[in-house]
Amino acid sequence: MIKITNLEKYYQTEEVQTIALNKLSFEVKEGEFAAIMGPSGCGKSTLLNILGLLDDPDGGSYLFNGIEVAGYNERKRAQLRKHNIGFVFQSFNLIDELSVFENVELPLIYTGVKPAERKERVHQVLEKMGIMHRRKHFPQQLSGGQQQRVAVARAVVNNPKLILADEPTGNLDSSNGNEVMDLLTELNEAGTTIIMVTHSEHDAKFSHRIIRMLDGQKVTENVLV
Amino acid sequence: MLRNYLKSARRTILKNKGVYGINIIGLSLGLASCLLILLFILDEVSYDSYHQKSEDIVRVVFKAEIGGEEISEAVVMPPVGPTLEKEFPEVLTAARLRKMNNPKLTYNNKNYGDFEFAYIDPEFLEVFDLKIIKGNNTNPLENPKAVIITEKQAERYFGTENPIGKNLSFEQWDKQFTVTAVIEEFPENSHFEFGVLASMEGYDYAKSTSWVNSDFHTYLLLKDGEQYKNLEAKLPGIMDKYMGPQIREAIGVSYSEFKDKNQVGLFLQPLTEIHLNPDFVSSGDLKPGMDIKYLYIFGAVAIFMLFIACINFMNLATAAASKRAKEVGIRKVLGSGQKQLVKQFLTESFLATIIAALLAILLVVLFLPTFNQLAGKSLQIIDLLQFSIVLTTMGLIVFVAFLAGGYPAFFLSSFKPVQVLKSRFASSGKSSLRNGLVVFQFIISAGLILATIVVYQQMAFIQNKDLGYHKDHILVIREAHLLGEQREAFKNQVLKDPRVTSISNSSFVPAGPTDISMSGVLLGGEYQRRMFIYNVDEAYIPTLGLDLVSGRNFSKEFGAERNRVVINETAARSLGFHKDPIGKTFTLDTEDGGRELNIIGLVKDFHFKSLHREIEPLILMNNPYGGLIIRINTADISTLLANIENQWQKFNIKEPFSYTFLDESFNRTYLREQKMGTILSIFTGLTIFVACMGLFGLVTFAAERRVREIGIRKVLGSSIPEIIALLSRDFIRLILISFLIAFPLGYFLMEQWLEDFAYRIEIKWWMFLLAAFLTTFIALMTIGFKSFKAASVNPIKSLRTE
Ligand SMILES: Nc1ncnc2c1ncn2[C@@H]1O[C@H](COP(=O)(O)OP(=O)(O)OP(=O)(O)O)[C@@H](O)[C@H]1O
Ligand SMILES: [Mg+2]
Repeated sequence: MIKITNLEKYYQTEEVQTIALNKLSFEVKEGEFAAIMGPSGCGKSTLLNILGLLDDPDGGSYLFNGIEVAGYNERKRAQLRKHNIGFVFQSFNLIDELSVFENVELPLIYTGVKPAERKERVHQVLEKMGIMHRRKHFPQQLSGGQQQRVAVARAVVNNPKLILADEPTGNLDSSNGNEVMDLLTELNEAGTTIIMVTHSEHDAKFSHRIIRMLDGQKVTENVLV
Repeated sequence: MLRNYLKSARRTILKNKGVYGINIIGLSLGLASCLLILLFILDEVSYDSYHQKSEDIVRVVFKAEIGGEEISEAVVMPPVGPTLEKEFPEVLTAARLRKMNNPKLTYNNKNYGDFEFAYIDPEFLEVFDLKIIKGNNTNPLENPKAVIITEKQAERYFGTENPIGKNLSFEQWDKQFTVTAVIEEFPENSHFEFGVLASMEGYDYAKSTSWVNSDFHTYLLLKDGEQYKNLEAKLPGIMDKYMGPQIREAIGVSYSEFKDKNQVGLFLQPLTEIHLNPDFVSSGDLKPGMDIKYLYIFGAVAIFMLFIACINFMNLATAAASKRAKEVGIRKVLGSGQKQLVKQFLTESFLATIIAALLAILLVVLFLPTFNQLAGKSLQIIDLLQFSIVLTTMGLIVFVAFLAGGYPAFFLSSFKPVQVLKSRFASSGKSSLRNGLVVFQFIISAGLILATIVVYQQMAFIQNKDLGYHKDHILVIREAHLLGEQREAFKNQVLKDPRVTSISNSSFVPAGPTDISMSGVLLGGEYQRRMFIYNVDEAYIPTLGLDLVSGRNFSKEFGAERNRVVINETAARSLGFHKDPIGKTFTLDTEDGGRELNIIGLVKDFHFKSLHREIEPLILMNNPYGGLIIRINTADISTLLANIENQWQKFNIKEPFSYTFLDESFNRTYLREQKMGTILSIFTGLTIFVACMGLFGLVTFAAERRVREIGIRKVLGSSIPEIIALLSRDFIRLILISFLIAFPLGYFLMEQWLEDFAYRIEIKWWMFLLAAFLTTFIALMTIGFKSFKAASVNPIKSLRTE
């Protein structure tokens, strides 16, 4: 599903050039659950942004479902992104001014789903995540674990083929963290491809494969299953 | 302590350059406009108040409705002044002025024109302040042959010679005067502007006892000007006593019978109100007045602008609260009380306001010459240094600083520190007050845009209105009467030029300076009303391109045609000859008992007066005299003019050749409206600019506040247009709400303005649509620019900072 070859990304700041990704290559098959680990600053988030089509690589190739997407412009990337990829962030990134329901509904609005169908699908996914009773609440009124579940609900409401999660449990205690990991596992078992960045060996064990990075390069790859 | 406040205020202003830049520029534009308009208004209301006794001087005016004709004149009958002085002890002095049109004087064998001339009673100098700089300064007009002249005229005729004792002759009236004094020019804010004033003692008409002819501007110096209404109440008695007996003599009906059907009366008008109430016209018009409506409009615009600038200040400062909430929280935790915080914020707004005021003064200095040119004034910067204006300005600064800084000061300082420190400051998102203020701003902006559209439409309407005559390619030589006997010869010479289509001999033109003549009309022995009389020749109708509806034009074939007339449609209606007036007769009221006139032709109504007035009844008589009206058929005007001037010179008269173009005179009639329209549109533009600056600031804040939200939405697939719509939606809604108030209000006010024109446009739906479109467009441009920038940011940038 995803195949990157010699992917490169540089950041230019005040005469210092940071190489965030240095000729990185790997492949993730459809239905896989991959974990990416590595020390802080090694380029994990940068990689995820590129995989998520939020950013453009400076070199190398990125095949998404067999199509070369490196060099796509912003509009094309957005188009591909909103139909195929869901995001889960460490800091949840819910919109404070919108209720739980409205937050989860957003991706459906942007893909042009009709209101009646939107309502049904949002209710379905909220039910699945066990936060149906909170649908009228605002993010500030929820606990961290609940907020992250809303974020996961939002990521999957569009039935994306790929979910990218950047330290989804980073801001949660272990029991809330485990709940979120269970959710992701369930989704994966239902067929969604998941790529997750994490600092926790415990969380990484939920995945099929761990890709370890250092200074923008892949160092090892352990297959768990 | 103040030093600390100032220091911190300075730092805040420097740190928030964007916000304070908008605030200071907006305020300075608002203040500068205010000051300019204040100067303008002060000048307008100061008219005639420079006379020491101005508070106690009134003018006697005449209002009547005779035969359906409404008359309001600034001139009254010759005996009115002396009679009122004699009858009422509260009238200390009466002084009359009789203006003479087109004066020409001769000195040292040289002819001079182009000055204003009037006879005045010697008492005029007691009532009004005329500064005598040379000559007899006790009673210069005692002698019937005495004349006083202004400095400029003295220099014009006599150069460096001493003017006192010199003789000036007026051949047209067969008179000679001796200069007894030189006076200062009349100031610009006077409704008088004369160059030469002769003694009324030598003017026989002044001694007339007629109560049926009006020609004299009459001023009364009262014991107590405030009591003028009491005196006015006694004037009907005077009319009964003096006018009554003369009415029967003049028109053959008893005064009481006359009064049953008609109304006549004398009224009083305080001197200082003359300029702003220009409803009284007369054949010898003094300086044209100013419609007070314009003062109201400009005053309102000035206040609006200041309000909008203040609103910007309040809105932006409150919006900035989200950024400064943390600072306030920390200050409070560290022990700052609310009072100190209020002081801190007020110091900031004072500092900003004072900077804005200094900038405003600079702007006024820079733009006063331009403004003067636009407004046709000669306002001086020094006029601003009056005590009252300085005080007003200072008051304004304090007021603005409090208004603009007060609300945010109290708003910000009342935050609870826990609330602000704990979480993101959320409440700044929905400020209904701020929304209300934005709506207010756009009510003003949309209203002003609508007003400007209506003004421009009305102006265009007047420019393009079918006047009933052709104003283009018409040359008017009013001075042709100076040719005397040789006029015919001159005319024939000019006619030889193939570029000249036709020439009419008449002093009556539909725009610009013209002779005016009116006479009473009787039908079947019964007095009807006065009608305008135009003395013309057979070429008049074709030259001006008038439309002959029925009957025929005058013609040389029929001889002199002294007692035959062509009338306009309104006259026909007024006389009751609706169907076919041709062949009907009526009587013209003349000194020698009336003259029977036979109608030979009917012309379509044409606008022989300004479009402010309805078309009135008009009688064309075949009695050519005076100037020449020339229709030409060439674009090459300069060589044609050179040829005509050449002919003029051949007839060897002292007078230089002078001419006017009818279309230019026509445009000059609406000069005031045009000037006011231009000024209005400039201030409208400025007001909208300032309002948009505020809007820009608010959008900036909204975008900054929502930067994270925008990022999230983009990650979830929102497109740039969707983000722009998200940011603009709230503002557009507010703007749409403002239309609901602005348009009915604007409609109402513009209807009032249009009522002034007898011929006017209707306010149409598309004008509202255009105003709405323009307002929305301007606002969208403002919002869109900022929104687009905010929407184009890569979302990972805004989310990374979390
Ligand atoms: N916008 C940017 N401008 C400049 N440098 C950047 C930018 N974004 C990332 N970097 C640099 O690129 C490198 C990789 O950053 P990245 O955020 O991908 O690390 P990370 O592996 O996600 O770290 P962490 O585990 O702390 O989240 C770092 O050295 C970082 O300083
Ligand atoms: Mg990271």
